[in-house]
Amino acid sequence: MFRLQSSKVLAVEMTGDAVKAKNGSMVAYDGDMAFKKLTGGGDGIRGMVTRRLTGEQMTVMEVRGRGICWFADRASDINLVGLQGDTLSVESSNLLATDGGLRTGTVFTGLRGASQGNGLFTTTVEGHGQVAIMSDGPAVLLRVSPQYPLTVDPGAYVAHQGNLRRSLQSGVTFRTLLGEGGGEAFQMRFEGDGLVYVQPSERNTIGGDV
Amino acid sequence: MSTYGTPGAGPRPGVTVHDPTTLPSDDNVDPYTFCVELAGSRWFLQKGKMIAYYGTIDFNGVGHGRLDRIVRTSFHSPLHASDWVVAEGTGRMLLADRAFDVNSYDLEEGNLTIRSGNLLAFQPSLSLKQSIVPGFLTLIGTGKFVAVSNGPVVFMEPPLRVDPQALVGWADCPSPCHHYDHGYMTGVLGGLRALTGLGGASGEEHQFEFVGAGTVLLQSSESLMPEQATGVTPQQAGVPGGGGSGAHGQGTGAPRLPGQLGDLQRRFGL
Repeated sequence: MFRLQSSKVLAVEMTGDAVKAKNGSMVAYDGDMAFKKLTGGGDGIRGMVTRRLTGEQMTVMEVRGRGICWFADRASDINLVGLQGDTLSVESSNLLATDGGLRTGTVFTGLRGASQGNGLFTTTVEGHGQVAIMSDGPAVLLRVSPQYPLTVDPGAYVAHQGNLRRSLQSGVTFRTLLGEGGGEAFQMRFEGDGLVYVQPSERNTIGGDV
Repeated sequence: MSTYGTPGAGPRPGVTVHDPTTLPSDDNVDPYTFCVELAGSRWFLQKGKMIAYYGTIDFNGVGHGRLDRIVRTSFHSPLHASDWVVAEGTGRMLLADRAFDVNSYDLEEGNLTIRSGNLLAFQPSLSLKQSIVPGFLTLIGTGKFVAVSNGPVVFMEPPLRVDPQALVGWADCPSPCHHYDHGYMTGVLGGLRALTGLGGASGEEHQFEFVGAGTVLLQSSESLMPEQATGVTPQQAGVPGGGGSGAHGQGTGAPRLPGQLGDLQRRFGL
């Protein structure tokens, strides 16, 4: 059972079940807990090799026990997401904790990842349970529906869920090369039906300055 | 309607999901995010501060030929030209900056001077000018602008002395002056202390002093954005920060090309 102790601390109540969390993100616990490092992201050998090859490495630990465990990471804001059989795509660096029963994987995202400076791959979480994702500043949730497609700056993108198509838009023109660009040379466009999490801050991206 | 946003699926209950119909028009979404509504209108915004938008919006550097008119009336800060773009189109656009607090202000036939890094966006009905205080910009006219601060903004009335790092800007009052504490300047010992910090410097020996009628805007932290080199003001007699040495300052840096806006290397992100 995930709940937010404050906007920056996640409290997880456990009754013998397991939670996967970012390595070293435990700040306190009450009760009986066992911490085990999951080598290579906890997706087995294949997942480990995939993660190593794709640069979506996560150092993940498995926490199992009874009681309450608190997680936090660098005072990032934490957002809770409930999954009911659907898939959440999230940057591995933004993933704090998932229910033990959720599957994590790596997918190819195409050029979008490259513009973001995070590589060509992203992490997916699927199954039934809860996920805690981190953002720099409280994330804004934006709904995408067929009549309202959304465009997001890659540096502010955190995660998305639902039935969304995502494509990279490039506004690079000769003006960009002249240094007269609009500052938003790379944009991610979402179409379909779902939710996008955006943080009020921009990571440094290759496309960020042009 | 999609199932996302209903309790259980998607975010936890109590979290607001926004779409174009629920996003505010020219107002804060939360303390860190500002939503601008564009209906064929234009806004100036600092490069790269757009985080998401619905609709069709174009972003163009201020050097874009089509923007000649609007730049002529609303943009008079060549040193900062490479940091500003014009957004135009239809839709709603979210602005944010490093998870800092974002606030909008209305000016009515007023003037406000603000640290250049703290100004996020403004309506073209305002006109942006470079302040004669280096690193600051002045907005003159009527309209709305959006500014960021690290921590909520505090409004103070002069007379007042403020810490240089906490200063965001000031409205309607004459330019500030430096104020140095007495002990900081007197004698050899004072000078040595100021120079080296030896013998106990409190770090608060130097302030900006405001007098007169107006408002001073302070942020509740002393963290600033990294200062960007914006080049120098024209080397003219009597221009502060003109880079030249006194009245006869002649080109110290690389010669500037005619019509050049901002420094070239910054436009390439160097």
